[in-house]
Amino acid sequence: MAGLLLYREWFRRNMTTVGAMVFAIAIIAGFQVIIPSFLRYHGIITLVYAMSYFLIAALGLTFVIMMGSFDFSVVSLLKLAALICVLYIDKLGFLVIPLALLISVGFGFINGLLVTKFNVPSFMATLGVSIVVEGTALYLSKGFLHIMYDKTFRALATTFIAGLPSIFYWAMGIWIVSIFIAMCLPFGRRTYAVGGNLIGAGLSGINVARHRIYVFMLSGLLAGLAGVLYMAQLGGGSMEIGADMAIPLFASVVAGGTALTGGVGGPHRTLLGVIIITWIEAGMLMLAIGHDIQMVVFGLIAIGMSIATIDRRRIKIIK
Amino acid sequence: MKILGRNKLITPVIIQTLKTHPVILALIALLVIFSGLYPERFLTPLNFKTILRQFVTLTLFALGPSIVVVTGSLDLSYVGIWMLGGILVWLLMPILGMFSILVIPLLGLGTGLLIGVIQVKAKIPSFILTLSLLVTYSGLTATLSGGYPRSVRGYEFITATLIPYLLTAFLWSIPIIIVAVFIMKRTRIGTYLYAIGSNEEGARLAGINVDKYKILAFTLSGLFTGIGSIILYQHLGGSAPVELNLMTVVWPLVAIVLGGTPLIGGSGGPQRTILGALTFTVFYRGLYLSLLHPEMIQLLVGLLLIVSIVVSARGLKGVTIT
Repeated sequence: MAGLLLYREWFRRNMTTVGAMVFAIAIIAGFQVIIPSFLRYHGIITLVYAMSYFLIAALGLTFVIMMGSFDFSVVSLLKLAALICVLYIDKLGFLVIPLALLISVGFGFINGLLVTKFNVPSFMATLGVSIVVEGTALYLSKGFLHIMYDKTFRALATTFIAGLPSIFYWAMGIWIVSIFIAMCLPFGRRTYAVGGNLIGAGLSGINVARHRIYVFMLSGLLAGLAGVLYMAQLGGGSMEIGADMAIPLFASVVAGGTALTGGVGGPHRTLLGVIIITWIEAGMLMLAIGHDIQMVVFGLIAIGMSIATIDRRRIKIIK
Repeated sequence: MKILGRNKLITPVIIQTLKTHPVILALIALLVIFSGLYPERFLTPLNFKTILRQFVTLTLFALGPSIVVVTGSLDLSYVGIWMLGGILVWLLMPILGMFSILVIPLLGLGTGLLIGVIQVKAKIPSFILTLSLLVTYSGLTATLSGGYPRSVRGYEFITATLIPYLLTAFLWSIPIIIVAVFIMKRTRIGTYLYAIGSNEEGARLAGINVDKYKILAFTLSGLFTGIGSIILYQHLGGSAPVELNLMTVVWPLVAIVLGGTPLIGGSGGPQRTILGALTFTVFYRGLYLSLLHPEMIQLLVGLLLIVSIVVSARGLKGVTIT
């Protein structure tokens, strides 16, 4: 009897994770039945390529959503970092990577500053910043397609180790570090605390404003890193980088089970969400279903998963 | 004696107006700056006609969402209603004939109702809900249209010239603006929406059916967008775009915030949005006529959005914002 109660308690707590897992397995199995070549070696390589940079960007967004805020600028920062890499690799060599990361962190800092010091709602602040970032990217790239010729830079993501591209190991490494940060370090625990109850976190001695700025900077850093690896993986790009990525990115975070209210979920769940989203995308592409229908599907997933994950008992007022 | 008193009143009234609508100062400043910098390009009838044209477009988009912003929520679905509505008109033309244009306001009404019900019952933040819905609608539009803009003829009478030198679309927008301002300023609905925006819990305790009025706000927003989209539909030559452009989503937001409706809700409203739309149009046209690169203009628009949000959020110390 006690065992059953424990089981029930465990299930109640981990309902969203279990749901996401069942969802992921159902999707993989479903596509495997429809397309027999889905899980062959080449199919898996394609999926890993599609998943890796996406996962890194989604991890940054996860920290922000865990904190109860939203970061709209992830996609734009990814684009800017990727373009900086391809534009200045000839002049600066490998110094472009710290440069790109520094600029992304700087914009993350501006996001945090606008949200905490100027009391701007986070989605609106990051929307404004993302327009500025897009403008900068357009100004720097002049709208042209740029090709990355540096072989060593591209080797960052495309070297094969044990049958899988190195970007996969980057993504997994960052995933594990993110879980460690969220679960074991004070930084992660504070993020949960701020997301769970902002005023309570402040009263218990956390410097909430400073911490929120740090989280936005972390999100910027991970977006920049995703951009650098994206450029190394694809070897070129224009302003079209990451077009229409915002909603799938957001959908993957909520599909994993990180609720928009903040305080629950975490990076460990985002992997599941990313698997769900990228594998749906890949499966639909293999079934020759166009990009437009994919947008419809991702939009509906985003709405549906937000409804499913949000904890309605805790919120009284939602804007 | 009375006349003297009235004269004494004029200055305070002007000062008070400028205090509540600081955007008027910005508008005058922009007009002076641009006319001073390049009068030969800025002070032309063609330019003012274009300003009017863009102002109408912007106002018809921003009017509905500004009602929602008053309640403290956000509605980004307007471009989606416009795009999907335009394609539905083309699809339903063979069945419904000339009445198919009415599908746009119906779609707006339905979308607003849907957003309102989901937002109130499921309690998702409205911006992410409407953003997802916008992307869904744009995907549907692209699928239904096959990727090409589809134009429909036969609705030219909507924007046929009534008064020379005045855009008919502008004339149409006047009653829409008046109705929106009337609802927000002179009816119980408007008062309740302001109350919900300034303190939702307080409004609930005061006996206002908050859920009902929030749904009503979203529905009104959708309806106004739908009606505006009819005029925009013909204003832009009997079709709507099939590809989503982030800038068309952002500009009405800039107009709302620039006009002085803070995103927290509780004050502002459609009457300020009109001023914001006018100021933004002058700002954009002025930059457009300058020798700046298009990318610099985009950058400046982003900065304007940030600055206007920061300014409109001033004096909100102690309010927790996520």
